[in-house]
Amino acid sequence: MQKTLILGILLCIATSMAAQDIQGIVTYNRKVNWITIMSNLPYMTSEEIDRNKLTWGDNSKNKGTNFELFFKKQKSLYTYKPEKSERGYSRNGDKFVLIRDYKNKTTQDLVETLGKTYKIEDDAPKYRWKILNEIREIEGFLCMKAETTDTIKDQVIHAWFTDKIPFYGGPEGFGGLPGLILEIDINNGSSLITATNIDLETAEVKLPIPKKMKGKEITYTELNKKLSKYIKDSIEGEKNPYWRVRY
Amino acid sequence: MRSTYLFLLFCLSTMLLNAQSSSFKIDGTVEDTIGNPLIASTVLLLEQSDSIMVDFTSTAMDGSFRFKDIEPGNYILKSTYIGFIPKTVNVNSQGDNVKVGTLKMTELAEELMEVVIKAAKASIVMRGDTVEYDASTFKVPEGSTVEDLLRRLPGIQIERDGAIQADGKDVDRVTVDGKSFFGADPKAATQNLPAEGISKVQVFDTKTEEEEITGATNDAQSKTMNLELKEDFKSGGFGRVIAGAGTEDRAELKGNFNRFNDKIQFSIVGVGNNTGRNGLSWDDYQDFLGSQSFSFSRGTEYGFGGGRNNFYYFGGGGGNALENSIQSVFFSGSDQGLPENYNGGVNFNYDNKKTQLSSVYYYNQAGLERNQLINHEKFYQDFVQNETSDRNSDDISRGHRAEVKIESELDSFHTIKIEFNGAHINENDISRGAIQLEEDDLLRSRSTYENNTNTSGDLANGLILLRKKFKKKGRSMGLNMSYLYTQLTDNWTQESTTNFFNSTEQSTSEEIINQINTNDADKKLFKANGLFVEPLGDKFFFQTFYNYSNRSESGDRDVSDFQDNDLNLNTELSRTYENKIAKNRVGSSLRYSHNGISATVGLAYQSFSLFGLSNDKSGLLTPLEVDKDFNNYIPHFSFNYRPNRNGYFGFSYNRNAAEPEIQSLQAIVDNTNPLFIRLGNPALTPEISNRISFNTSRTYPLSNIRFYVNGSYEFFDNRISSRENVDENFVTTYQPINLEGGNNTSLYANISFPLVVNKFTARVNFSGNRSSSPAIVNDIENTTTSNSLSPSLRLNITPSQDFTVYIDTRFSRSKTTYDINTSQDQITKTISYSAELSAKLLAGFYLNTNYDFTNYTNDRFNENFSIPILNSSIYRYFLPENKMEVRLSIYDALNRNVGFSQVATDLGLRRSETNALGRYVMLSLTYNIRGLKSSVKKNSWW
Repeated sequence: MQKTLILGILLCIATSMAAQDIQGIVTYNRKVNWITIMSNLPYMTSEEIDRNKLTWGDNSKNKGTNFELFFKKQKSLYTYKPEKSERGYSRNGDKFVLIRDYKNKTTQDLVETLGKTYKIEDDAPKYRWKILNEIREIEGFLCMKAETTDTIKDQVIHAWFTDKIPFYGGPEGFGGLPGLILEIDINNGSSLITATNIDLETAEVKLPIPKKMKGKEITYTELNKKLSKYIKDSIEGEKNPYWRVRY
Repeated sequence: MRSTYLFLLFCLSTMLLNAQSSSFKIDGTVEDTIGNPLIASTVLLLEQSDSIMVDFTSTAMDGSFRFKDIEPGNYILKSTYIGFIPKTVNVNSQGDNVKVGTLKMTELAEELMEVVIKAAKASIVMRGDTVEYDASTFKVPEGSTVEDLLRRLPGIQIERDGAIQADGKDVDRVTVDGKSFFGADPKAATQNLPAEGISKVQVFDTKTEEEEITGATNDAQSKTMNLELKEDFKSGGFGRVIAGAGTEDRAELKGNFNRFNDKIQFSIVGVGNNTGRNGLSWDDYQDFLGSQSFSFSRGTEYGFGGGRNNFYYFGGGGGNALENSIQSVFFSGSDQGLPENYNGGVNFNYDNKKTQLSSVYYYNQAGLERNQLINHEKFYQDFVQNETSDRNSDDISRGHRAEVKIESELDSFHTIKIEFNGAHINENDISRGAIQLEEDDLLRSRSTYENNTNTSGDLANGLILLRKKFKKKGRSMGLNMSYLYTQLTDNWTQESTTNFFNSTEQSTSEEIINQINTNDADKKLFKANGLFVEPLGDKFFFQTFYNYSNRSESGDRDVSDFQDNDLNLNTELSRTYENKIAKNRVGSSLRYSHNGISATVGLAYQSFSLFGLSNDKSGLLTPLEVDKDFNNYIPHFSFNYRPNRNGYFGFSYNRNAAEPEIQSLQAIVDNTNPLFIRLGNPALTPEISNRISFNTSRTYPLSNIRFYVNGSYEFFDNRISSRENVDENFVTTYQPINLEGGNNTSLYANISFPLVVNKFTARVNFSGNRSSSPAIVNDIENTTTSNSLSPSLRLNITPSQDFTVYIDTRFSRSKTTYDINTSQDQITKTISYSAELSAKLLAGFYLNTNYDFTNYTNDRFNENFSIPILNSSIYRYFLPENKMEVRLSIYDALNRNVGFSQVATDLGLRRSETNALGRYVMLSLTYNIRGLKSSVKKNSWW
């Protein structure tokens, strides 16, 4: 008990200092499981679902894609981690830069979706989080679980956050929880974004804001309307909308 | 001005008043059970109605916390501290400040933290005062039962008799996925279920019926354990049977069965029919091969990378039925003649994530009875040759094929793959017919023949492949070796009588051939390939490859003539031969790859070494020997650009060198067919082709428009063509020679777009080709040029799940011109229309009907031939989930089915008509254990 107290005091000092100017770089691995995404599409028959599982079911070879979250002074930037491919072919990832200002609650995002690059300077999306009674360790941090839903993509989203890192953001633009989100689990592993490296030691974090932030300006309300229509049309036409829309 | 101040003052005061009356503060302290403050613990404020978080804060040095400016309402205040069980209190306030006092939190058992969180990396769920955790991460040896797993879990004890206790209380109920599967005895589940199938073990207080309804909790006397199954462990499977019987002695039967889980895939398939229809589809293929469906052993001959890699190939090798893969015989079938097919196989795949094993056996038997009428009109400088052939054949082929593959990830840097496959085939072809040659409507020769061929052969093939990655990212290596052995024995009898006629159509001579041939051929092919890729900085890669292959063939052919009931060896035609072809190729390329751009420049040096020896059996003639080396430089260039997910552009230049066949190089005179004599040409050099191609595609997801364009231009050096001479006896002599010139140009484009989203879609295709090829005919060089254009339009009209119409119209026009005789230029046209209508009728009946109309014309030959085909069926589903379908069909209702083709050749027009299965009615029954899809919409990818 004594130990807990001392640890608590130490942490308190650390966190009370850190709360204002905590900074760091977190690497996340994002793994998408196409089989479960397709299995959840309403037009798929049980036979088609099984056929997909049978043929493509082994997701263990899927190494996922790495992303980085830079955060400093209540601002964060989340984007693809620049990486050298193992086979000697670089892929041009879609444009995807999410810049969040948690103080002013605004976004400055550059997102390529539906065949266009959009620039979204808007109020940050608000998430209605339900806090669950489940704890788990991720990369040495004990995390609590929270839940929210996305009605446009019909998703149940679970976030694992740690109050030991008092930065209220996370990957994929999620945030607003009492600590940094270390994992996002969308629809039971259909998309799983997990922290694989947490670096809070870096002397000076600089948000790598791209020089060119060029795109068609749009608000999240308008973009969501477009996405909603595209997803609805695709499902009605029995096509998987998530080949072209980030799940 | 004053009024403004007053107004502002009023506003300010109301705001302050409002703030005071409509928001409140919450104060409290968080401590552990012995009164120590918990510092920096997170306190959450949740809405009572739906547990949504409204605010959060953390405790200060003395464990105290405060929420300010809270709107009146009903809340839950929840204190959390990692390692402690959360504590909640309800906070209801209409605006009065609330003091919740001290929240005392209980620490989690250290055992749970250590074992569950740290060691097993599992999560802990806290419900009230009970704790559940994910059991999937507790490692147990393969083959363990759930009971073995439970023994490892903290807080759970297993008695000697298998009874389970959790936290000192008896577990009286075990459920699987929330359902009671195993009756009253909880041990039945835990002692029988495999541990590897379980994702979660949840233990909670057993609730009485009353507690379930009221939600009240009492101190429970016993516990319930729920075992959640892993998603991927829930096994799946298919099973289908289709049986049909019809008029004209037509019948078909098809069945498949498949079971699979996380590790094991097992399937069997079988099909038999004499309709040529309802054979095996892509779905059947996938259901049969499972995870191996698209795992072809391709790309073992490494190359430049960065583009198409098929820039050199072996001439003369392979191509016979023996070397066909299981994939290629799976879809065998014919829509011409009268087919009778039987296929079937069994497949087994095992995958434990590190090692994959797959084994498959497949048998196929294809029988085909055909009657073909072929007419080939050829123009020479000063006469027209008309060849008419009437051929009846009855072929049957049988093949057994088996394949075993093992792929294993030795460690994170090494992967090894080993493959074996074997095959045995037996083919029997009987053909008889008559061939007639006319010169300007004057009969010059007529022959009747009967051939009977039997071929049997065996194949054994092995491959070993190693892939290595290095610590340095981007550096990689591949090595592989393969060995193929085939042995083929042909036996055939050839009986023919040929009569030659003079200018007054009087028979001048008669040639009778009555021969027995046997041919034994062995082939051994060894290949070894290596590849090494080295990254140079972030954007460049250097790739080096080496290919070696050595093919050796030997054969022994005996031709014996029947003369006066005696069998005499024909020493001119009987030969032994031995061919060896060795190929070495070494090359390197440099690739730039960054931001969606990939550009590759490469150069390879390739050498062929050909050796051939052919001995006739008379012992009198000198052996024919070929010993040649050919060396070529092969440059390569490719460029690809993918600016985003929806667009693509690619451009490439490839050069190929194909070595001539050894048979073509030998100074041999092949007069097997006395009317068509083949000569060898020892001066032949490799044909070099140069191909420039591009392709581009773009998709507009919002408007659902897609387009795709590709084009290519190919030109040749030393093109292998032919010299053909027809003598006064109408005997054709053919010899392969190198000629300069010749090229191919092609352009293909398609665009698809919706007219009404999801209801009415159109797709327009266009393809155009131009090819010119030189050849020498009766000492005059002629270049045949063919230009063809084929636009087509497809409409998908899908207003609902119950009514669809698909319309397809195709038009194809091909113009062939000849430099030596422009009067023979010809235009062939093919126009086809097809419409398919599917609709749900009354009383659960469905209708499917399709009409195809094809018309072939050729102005030069006054050809005008049409084939209308009408098929129609009516069907109904039975049983729950539409598990059964009964269908009555009529095929070719107009009884006009026939196989037809017309091809403009280098010298004229070749047309053929083949008999085909005509009108029949069939009643068929389908049973599918997974149910059938009732929608009449087809899957469409555009």
